[in-house]
Amino acid sequence: MNWGASIRTILLCAILILLHYTLRPLLAWRASADFLIIALLLASVRVRPGIAALFGFVLGLASDSVALGAFGAGALAMTLIGFSWSRLKAVFFADHVLLNGFFLFLGKWAYEIVMNLVERRLHGAELAMQILVWSSLSAAVTAVAGVLALMVLRPVLETRAA
Amino acid sequence: MARTARLSSRTDVVIFGVCVLLSLFAMVLPDRLREPVASGLRRVLVAPLLQLQMGSERWRAAYLSSERAELARDTLALAAARVPTLEHENERLRKLLGLGSELKWGFIPAAALQGRGRAEDFTVTLSAGSNAGVRERSLVVAPEGVVGLVQTVDPTMSLAILFAHPDFRVSAMSADGSAFGIVQPHVTSSGSSRDQTYLRSERYLLEMRGVPFRATLKPGAVVYSSGLGGIYPKGIPVGVVLGEVRTTEAWARTYLLRPAVNPAELSAVMILTPQRGAAGLTNIWAGVGPVDSATRSIVLAGDSLARQSAAAEAAARRAALDSAARLQRDSLGRDSTGVDSGAARRAPAPSTPLPPPSAAVDPLAAARVRARRDSVAAKARRDSAQRARAEVIGAQVPGAPVPTPQPATRPPENRR
Repeated sequence: MNWGASIRTILLCAILILLHYTLRPLLAWRASADFLIIALLLASVRVRPGIAALFGFVLGLASDSVALGAFGAGALAMTLIGFSWSRLKAVFFADHVLLNGFFLFLGKWAYEIVMNLVERRLHGAELAMQILVWSSLSAAVTAVAGVLALMVLRPVLETRAA
Repeated sequence: MARTARLSSRTDVVIFGVCVLLSLFAMVLPDRLREPVASGLRRVLVAPLLQLQMGSERWRAAYLSSERAELARDTLALAAARVPTLEHENERLRKLLGLGSELKWGFIPAAALQGRGRAEDFTVTLSAGSNAGVRERSLVVAPEGVVGLVQTVDPTMSLAILFAHPDFRVSAMSADGSAFGIVQPHVTSSGSSRDQTYLRSERYLLEMRGVPFRATLKPGAVVYSSGLGGIYPKGIPVGVVLGEVRTTEAWARTYLLRPAVNPAELSAVMILTPQRGAAGLTNIWAGVGPVDSATRSIVLAGDSLARQSAAAEAAARRAALDSAARLQRDSLGRDSTGVDSGAARRAPAPSTPLPPPSAAVDPLAAARVRARRDSVAAKARRDSAQRARAEVIGAQVPGAPVPTPQPATRPPENRR
């Protein structure tokens, strides 16, 4: 990855992280879009798996620092997702809106499942309800927001031919 | 090349493993070690982002608060819009209470439901029926006067014709009994559409026919039922004279009347039982107004009494505060004259009698007392100064005559 692509990826991640801390509280939906996951997934397909894992770890640890009950859980989930998505970049690079949306959905849902299992706050029917209803809903909203972000930021992401 | 790829792949796996291990380690960290790490991360990485989040949440709170304020404003506006209607309804119900208290017995209160259909223009549905004691041909009245006559009675409701119904007739007279006639709806026929429009606006007016030619009624004169017809008892207001209508009848006059009751404002009525009608209603409507005004005056009197007592209490409190302040000023004035306050306290009471308590309230008496007290204090000050000067001179020149004390010269007044 050249310098231009690196800067563009960093810029994209910065924008998405800013959106996470500004747009999300403004909307305050019960199932809201997770822009950190979108940033992680979009960055993971553009960097090496190790870097993606490291990025996920830092991002997860930063988000865990304000949720002391599950300190480390977010870092673990994002590390796993970042590394896995970086390995699957060949699939994810398929330039199709629906496919991108599907993988965003899958990534957010996997993150929610890992978080819920690691936190061990919910059990039984409540856990199933959370994973099947609220996590799915949040994953769907994240997928829609991610696809919209991809469409809007496509000019930034595209590499110009020399 | 392949070796480099394998190496970098291995490096990736190692980094991933380290990250996973660190995450697991963070999860099992004890609280005393976890908090410093989290705090450092919060301060370095998350603090600026949390500031942004705080700003967003403030925006949202402001938006929600403005929405709530708008809702509250709308609710207030709606409530304010209902106030005139409620006031009007209150006024009508108060009048109805006044009528009820004058009638005393033999009446059935009912709600008047006015139909909106074309055939229901001149009838009104009443919410009381035969179960409540309503009979056919019972008289329907309002605090303002005649409304109509019950025609059909069901167990729970009844139908009455209004005074504007073509079949309505009532024998009427002027207030002084000098003019009699028959009051009926003002119905005229005309061909032109312009006249029809004019008539539609007049369809609730009444006319008093058959008034003897020698009897004249001035506009504004009230017309009452005369009790001659047998249905309507004497003394119920029917309408107010608007003017004379020119007709072809040369032996009698016809007057146009504005009905005493406005049908648009008809919401609650009284149905009189036949016994009550037979017992007579003279002077009942003359008392409705006074009863209403008496209720108002009682309420107003209560208000004015409360206002008076509040004003008296405030005046008493103000007088007590003033007298306390004056006493405090006087005692401060006495201390500032230089007279030993302890001696003053030990000294017998001054010959000047203390003013009576009422003088503390009277400003002239208080001023006089103050002036007298000031002059006494000034005299004492002059005497003590002269005595001190004589003692000083006597001590410097033994045997010298003691000079006569001279009154102290006043400094010239600065007129500017």
